[in-house]
Amino acid sequence: MSDPVLVARGLGRKYDGYIALGSFELTVAPGELLALVGPNGAGKTTFLTLAAGLLEPTSGEVQIDGHAAGSIEARRALSYLPDTPVFYEDLSIGEHLEYLAALHGVAEPGPRIDSLLARLGLAEWRDGLAAELSHGMKQKASIALALVRPCSVLLADEPFDGLDPPSRAVLFELIAEARAGGAAVIVSTHRPDVIAAASRCVAIRDGRLAYDGLPDEQALAEFFAGGEEVSAQSDL
Amino acid sequence: MQGSVGGGSIVALREMRRARRRHYVEQLDLMEVLYRVYVVVIFGAIALGVLAGAIHEAPATPAAIEWLRHHGPALIGAAVALGLLAGLRSGSHGGPLAIEAAEVQYVLLAPLDRGAALRPLALRQLRVGALVGAVLGAILGNFVFRRLPGSPVEWIGCLALFGALVPACVLGAALFASGRRIPQLAAGAIGLLFVAWSAADAALGTTTSPATMLGALATLPVQHGADAGFAALGAALAVVLLALALSGVGGVLLEAARRRAALAAELRFSASVKDLRTVILLRRQLASERPRRRPWLRLPATWGAAHPVWRRGWQSFLRWPPARIARVALIGVLAGALATAAWRAAPLALFLPGLLLFVAALDLVEPLAQESDHPTRRQLLPLEPRVLIGRHVAAPAAGLAIVVLVATVVAALAGGGRTALVTGILLCAPLGLALACCAAFSASNDPYEYLLSPQVANVVTYAPVGAASMLVGLPLIGASLSERHDHAPIPIAAGGAVFVALLAAAAIPLLGERFAKRDSVPA
Repeated sequence: MSDPVLVARGLGRKYDGYIALGSFELTVAPGELLALVGPNGAGKTTFLTLAAGLLEPTSGEVQIDGHAAGSIEARRALSYLPDTPVFYEDLSIGEHLEYLAALHGVAEPGPRIDSLLARLGLAEWRDGLAAELSHGMKQKASIALALVRPCSVLLADEPFDGLDPPSRAVLFELIAEARAGGAAVIVSTHRPDVIAAASRCVAIRDGRLAYDGLPDEQALAEFFAGGEEVSAQSDL
Repeated sequence: MQGSVGGGSIVALREMRRARRRHYVEQLDLMEVLYRVYVVVIFGAIALGVLAGAIHEAPATPAAIEWLRHHGPALIGAAVALGLLAGLRSGSHGGPLAIEAAEVQYVLLAPLDRGAALRPLALRQLRVGALVGAVLGAILGNFVFRRLPGSPVEWIGCLALFGALVPACVLGAALFASGRRIPQLAAGAIGLLFVAWSAADAALGTTTSPATMLGALATLPVQHGADAGFAALGAALAVVLLALALSGVGGVLLEAARRRAALAAELRFSASVKDLRTVILLRRQLASERPRRRPWLRLPATWGAAHPVWRRGWQSFLRWPPARIARVALIGVLAGALATAAWRAAPLALFLPGLLLFVAALDLVEPLAQESDHPTRRQLLPLEPRVLIGRHVAAPAAGLAIVVLVATVVAALAGGGRTALVTGILLCAPLGLALACCAAFSASNDPYEYLLSPQVANVVTYAPVGAASMLVGLPLIGASLSERHDHAPIPIAAGGAVFVALLAAAAIPLLGERFAKRDSVPA
């Protein structure tokens, strides 16, 4: 097994005494598609934002490609797709993509940008401002922004929400390409089709790891039914 | 690894910011900008004219000059130290930068030096603060040189420099605290240390605190020898603080930056539609100012049981966080000090304490403002809005009367003596009621009612502020002028108290009517 691209050790985060994530342990290898599941408020987004370096842990640590989350090296290796798309008001979608590629030092980003815009059905919106886009189009533009630059780890917070079926299919293809290139993809989701497509499933409840294994339908059904913690711990 | 990744490019960041500035300039409406400049110049000139007329231009007495030379630096330094305390507190909450959400998401998560990315934003904020401070300082210098020894160039120059350095220091302290991630308690403690140091300087007549040294800069033309050296040292220390702040600006916590980004965007929008109520709520959120989970004091079950609205008001006050209590108390102290100074030097400046007290009133009127925020809940109550709102005015009015009493005690101790004490006691209850009404009108203002006629919206937004200023100022000005003409000021103050009380009593039904009228509009 190759070196892990994401390692969380004893990762914890509290808000005013409330434990959003507690002693979370996770190791992710290159090329994995990990579905992160759990009820609302379980700690999925907290984990993703901690790994992205947007949030500071109150205990433990996360390493991305061997570097502390939030460090320049980790930022170079990680791409984060937030649950709510974020844009500059005064830049077109094309300018956003060029800007982000330049910030990440991508040489000759033109073909990649053209390809992403075409596949996501955004080509004619290249010169459009974000305010002119529908929610679904914004979500697709946000996906393009996350994938316009190379990465070792892609963290995506509910990326399939708000997408029509053809766009979902394109996103599955793009994720598959990223994995084929060696990137690990961690997707927070509630969607059964995404969980089924994942190579591994991690469930969180009340900020604690409740399941880590293959996306087993029976085990997950028990988990979402609110039963006791499912014992399956895969040895990936 | 998927593909190859190059180094982050700060050059790309600079180019994009230049392009965004170009976009911004292209979208500016020149006529609109010229109109705004015209309005500022006209009203600025009028304000300066009024101020010039209000300020007594007779040369200061030798005793007053000596007092200023000895005590001025420490007292001005104490005010600077309070600014540093505010700056440090803001920095510990992630201020003063309000970074765009997209900037956090794309620039601060990019593999480039965050310090290099944030420094231009910090410098821009510092430039604006320093420029505004320098202009205000120069204006002040223009008035001061007429009364004190020293040339116009000396006074305008040193007060402009002082005016530039103070906001720069306050912003610098905030940037330092946010960049170095100083915890809230530690930031507050450091700020209080500066305040205590300046207070000690004031008490002992020494110049040891950096804030006092900056105060020496503000009075430089009347200082001699060593004191002038202190002024230079104060300016140098301010520059060092700025350098330290700018060097560590990249250490800002991203979670604080994200939170501020969302709040600042809402704040700008609320300010643009003159929604003062939302501005206040968002400012509290920016400062992480939340009600205490456990009240300072639990009211006994029987206390005010027959008057639940009155009781509810006090329950709200008893959950105030320490910062809000300190702010309102400080406003009381400043209003008292300002009123004393204005009474002696420039009676027209007696309109200013009302502005300060209005800020406190916005805090105290919170229980009533909540009724405006949640109309559905209010409409479900088996009470006429006129009755409910009338009852809601009582607790804020009582709280504001206490604030006015604090101001009164300060004014009496600051040299106002018995006259200040009696005047304050006569006025505290009527002013409390009047200020509560003004703040209630402001908090229940519907920002969208006059959205399409900004001139009307401006009048509606600022009328309560002006009313508060006048209701506090007029009785005091009347009493002050009476004393200047060798008549007894107290009867004038008593008459003013009756006048204010009658006006406030008349305003309460109008306030209830405003709520009732809104309720009659179908949802």
